[in-house]
Amino acid sequence: MKYVFLISAITLSLAIPPSAWSEDQSHNSEHHHQDAAASASRTTIPGAHDHQNHDGHPMEHSGNATGQDSHAALTRTDEIDRALTEGGTPIVADVLGVVCDFCAIAMNKIFGSRPEVAAVYVDLDTKALSLVLSPSSTLSDAEIANLAVQAGYRIAGIRRDEAALEIAL
Amino acid sequence: MSRLVWTVALLLLSLNSNIGNARPVSYTGGLTLIEESDRQSTSVLVHFTPAHQGSIGLRGEHNRDQDYALYTLHPTWLAKRWFGTNHQGNLYLHGGVGVANGVNGNPLGEDLAAHGGVMADWETRSLFASYRSRYLDAGHFGNQFAHAARAGFAPYIGKTGDLHTWLMLEIDHRPSERISMTATPLIRFFKGPVLIEFGYTLSINQPLINFTYRL
Repeated sequence: MKYVFLISAITLSLAIPPSAWSEDQSHNSEHHHQDAAASASRTTIPGAHDHQNHDGHPMEHSGNATGQDSHAALTRTDEIDRALTEGGTPIVADVLGVVCDFCAIAMNKIFGSRPEVAAVYVDLDTKALSLVLSPSSTLSDAEIANLAVQAGYRIAGIRRDEAALEIAL
Repeated sequence: MSRLVWTVALLLLSLNSNIGNARPVSYTGGLTLIEESDRQSTSVLVHFTPAHQGSIGLRGEHNRDQDYALYTLHPTWLAKRWFGTNHQGNLYLHGGVGVANGVNGNPLGEDLAAHGGVMADWETRSLFASYRSRYLDAGHFGNQFAHAARAGFAPYIGKTGDLHTWLMLEIDHRPSERISMTATPLIRFFKGPVLIEFGYTLSINQPLINFTYRL
């Protein structure tokens, strides 16, 4: 019995599919249709299912990205205001599954490690990730969605520039 | 690390009671320290998350009732995460392989050990439920199945970075024990990267302290 269980435990240890561990990297090169240069300032995808399940895209479909009556605007913090003053580009992403500070820490760590990101804040109230990119930096929608996956979460919608600064009804 | 250092470290953390519930998989590149005390043992797990689907950790566990220590390699696989606008659910498979050593004069020496089980949780910003099970084969130190379920609520909803507080009740069931089922009311404090739980197991009169720190 002991050895059966030992073998089972080893099998479990090895059961994590290699493809799963490298999923993020593959997304980064496969999805250019959401690229910032080509996209409108607001990306909201109709439907209500997980896009990743059928074509591997990490952005979650949602008719209303937040499930509420309005989309959140950029959360203003000192760091974000400073980055905006310096000419940074505001971005707001609606995040699914953000329910606690560990979620916020994960997003802060992953996005904060990117050189393109001048300021980042996760608002648990609005379930929104607020980003300000450094001047002349770019981060495509696909890259944002993939970074969220690395943090363990999903993006439901992304708004940029003026659309990120105003609450959309 | 020597057995003596492990044992001292575990004894210092040993304030008893319950199977804790902390996120066993972090963000890609994240490092987490988890200390859990249950009615029989106290454990320390340090895990690293190389990708968001799983973590790999080193676990040390001291069984106070039977005077042995476990040292295992502890992988956890996030089998499924459910996302919602206001909720998150997770299903994890966890396992471990390593050795069990007698401590405190236990003459049984050393043997191979392995454990495995399932964890699941579901939470919103104000409600929490979880389940966790583990089967342990500690060689000639014995086998054990244990499982526990929790439910809780947050009396207020804090903002990002605030002190978050949860009130919870945990029911722990270990069929092989003389007192097979215990109930533990507990309070969880959660702020930034630190999660601490204080509880008291009613039927065996033992305190609970669990701690998690996420880098």
